[in-house]
Amino acid sequence: MKIKNGFVVRKVGGESVVVPVGEMSKNFHGMINLNETGAFLWNFFTAEHTVDEGVQALLGEYDVEEEIARTDVEQFVKTIQENGFAE
Amino acid sequence: MENTTEKWKIEDVLKEKGVYIGPTVGVSMLPMLKNRRDTIVVKPKTERLKRLDVALYKRGDAYVLHRVLASTEKGYIIRGDNCYADENVPEEAVIGVLTEFFRKDKHILCTDKKYIRYAERRVKTYKPRRFFVRIKTKIRAFGGKILRALRLKK
Repeated sequence: MKIKNGFVVRKVGGESVVVPVGEMSKNFHGMINLNETGAFLWNFFTAEHTVDEGVQALLGEYDVEEEIARTDVEQFVKTIQENGFAE
Repeated sequence: MENTTEKWKIEDVLKEKGVYIGPTVGVSMLPMLKNRRDTIVVKPKTERLKRLDVALYKRGDAYVLHRVLASTEKGYIIRGDNCYADENVPEEAVIGVLTEFFRKDKHILCTDKKYIRYAERRVKTYKPRRFFVRIKTKIRAFGGKILRALRLKK
């Protein structure tokens, strides 16, 4: 899975928000707020990766159990795909 | 992660989240903000805006982000940094104020002294800029006339 090009993550007041740029801003209107894990996964999936790789990346970054990490990554990927942000 | 693409209105986002973060659209605030490249951070208006503040207001259904030049009894005189006409905007049309922005990846606060100097300079140099733009427009128009005349002769 890979997130489409045309988005930037801006950190404002401790919160991460995804903002569309260029052509993408013509089609997408709104704000995507990311928590810390979401911001980490967003940046990770700007390059092509599998869910398993996402889980391993999350385990490497945070002190979290594998089952929880997998649930987080699967939920993130599902949301990305459902909202049309995945290539 | 939360996506507010549905039911999208900036005033709703401001009310709900207390901040709107989004892309810039248009060329009226050049050279400060470039169309669909930069990011604006707008907060709800809590008090009367001041000179040099950048107001987010509604003109019909459209959102406009332009600079306050002066306050009036019922609102503001406002103009885009890259515009040459003033607008009288009623107080109730103003929904927010720019507090910070990202120019490419550079994060700039509207309280930054360097930024305030830029804003001041942009407002002060309006008349000479307008003068040069008018001259440029006239020269282009005159050049166009000559070219058309030459083509007709051929």
